[in-house]
Amino acid sequence: MNSADQPLLKLKNITKRFKSLTAVNGINLEVSAGEKLVIIGPSGSGKSTLLRAINLLEEIEEGAIIFEGREVGYVMSKGKRHLGHPRAISALRAEIGMVFQHFHLFPHMTVLGNVMEGPLTVQGKSADEARSIATDMLVKVGLSDKRDVFPATLSGGQKQRVAIARALAMRPKLMLFDEPTSALDPELVGEVFDTIHTLADEGMTMIIVTHHMGFARELADRVIFMESGNFLAQGTPEELFSAGQDNERIRGFLNRLL
Amino acid sequence: MALLFLWALSGPCLAAIDYDGLFRQSSDLMAQGDLGGALDLLGKVPPPAAGEEAGAFVSSRMQAARILAAQKEPDKAVAACREVLKLFPDNSEARNFVAALEQQLKPGWHTVLSDTLRFLPSLAKGALMTLLLVLCTMLVSPLGGLLIALGRISTVRPVSGFCWFIIWFFRGTPLLLQLFFIYYGLPSLGITLAPFTAAVIGLGLNYSAYLGEIIRGAIQSIDHGQMEAAKAIGMTYGQAMRRVIVPQTYKRLMPPVGNEFIALIKDTALVSTIAMVELMRAADQLFNTYFNITALALAAVIYLVLTTIFTFIFEKIEYRAGIYEQR
Repeated sequence: MNSADQPLLKLKNITKRFKSLTAVNGINLEVSAGEKLVIIGPSGSGKSTLLRAINLLEEIEEGAIIFEGREVGYVMSKGKRHLGHPRAISALRAEIGMVFQHFHLFPHMTVLGNVMEGPLTVQGKSADEARSIATDMLVKVGLSDKRDVFPATLSGGQKQRVAIARALAMRPKLMLFDEPTSALDPELVGEVFDTIHTLADEGMTMIIVTHHMGFARELADRVIFMESGNFLAQGTPEELFSAGQDNERIRGFLNRLL
Repeated sequence: MALLFLWALSGPCLAAIDYDGLFRQSSDLMAQGDLGGALDLLGKVPPPAAGEEAGAFVSSRMQAARILAAQKEPDKAVAACREVLKLFPDNSEARNFVAALEQQLKPGWHTVLSDTLRFLPSLAKGALMTLLLVLCTMLVSPLGGLLIALGRISTVRPVSGFCWFIIWFFRGTPLLLQLFFIYYGLPSLGITLAPFTAAVIGLGLNYSAYLGEIIRGAIQSIDHGQMEAAKAIGMTYGQAMRRVIVPQTYKRLMPPVGNEFIALIKDTALVSTIAMVELMRAADQLFNTYFNITALALAAVIYLVLTTIFTFIFEKIEYRAGIYEQR
């Protein structure tokens, strides 16, 4: 389980269908501890669905999710696959942080309350303990001065940094970012990008779905180009963004973005 | 008619007065609507001389007084009564009539005030019972409503089906019928309830059904992302509901729930039909005893006071529940 060469996360043949549409088509992927993986691709290519499938917000039809060497999320009974016990699913999600495009902060809680909520309710820590963890996380994202305000008073960039702190408060082993800067005004993208960059420098394992090429260029160990539920190409940023890249579709997509 | 009048005018010329005939004539004139003529006739009955029979005189003046009172001339009616009282100070009919007329002549607020003081104790007792019923139902129905709402959105089929049935039944039949069934119908199944218990159960179930639909709507109006975010930090469905989703419904719930509770205050009047003495029943009893509209007006005022207080409280709660939305 703790062997160095074993991947933190392994996806085998992940397939997700919405009625007749196959959103994710038999994806295989290994993510090792400390790796920063960036998934790019046009809208509707299945990147978000794949990300959501990892922490079981999306139920998949086929495939296996192996986290730290054990298969998670699904059980077989009477020859059919089902989502596993709710407790087991919650326990897995507690180890995987997720940041959403639209933040989804809890509006009725203060900034501190939002960040405390996981340790307090999910991990059952005492209020004092949770408060001290939350305070640390707010310092990390640079928002300790906003701890007592409600989310409604924050800018988009600040909201997203609180959302990152909320996920970090659970001390996750893996962070999933689902288009973390897509809902932000251009001038606010930088602060969120910097926060994620700092996290990456600290060695956090992360998978980022984004349209923001800065993530891919500056902090990715590996970039995956996804289209129609398939991985079309993957490699280091240098490989994928090099002029020598010969895939027309990727070239076209990148040209539109860059 | 003119003929009758002439004949009537000739009345006093007769040596012996035919009182029976005179009264009959005046009744006829009244029946024809000629109240003035009737009054003239009655006025011709002279005061009795010493030792003479006084019945005709008293009857004539009292009849005149009733006609005058009906014509909204209480002063003249009192004068007619006083003619009787001058000769017979102990005549109770005349005295009562004068007293009643003087009540009419007094400024209105005086009577209303004395009636109010007279009725208020029993109305206050009724109002307290109404308030107790309202508070009990307000305690029971939000809990029942929340359970029904959570049941309705449950993915467990029998649970959501059962909750659908509860809503369907209690919203679809009159509250009055439900109260009758619980109080008068259940004893035949061997369950006998005290009126208060029956009232709280009936009101509680009915309002739980209504609040259930309101709460379900509020829960489902919360952005789906909130549930996902709660799950993403590892919360179970129950934790997410309790900590994240339901608390966000409070502000949205307040206006419709406030409405329901205002309606509840008035709906408690229905339990007067199952042997409960609350505000409506107390007012009704006073009205039937004294035939005095003030009792009903006072009940209306008390209902208004109650609804006003609750409206005010709900506005305060709504403001506080939504404080986090203010920038």
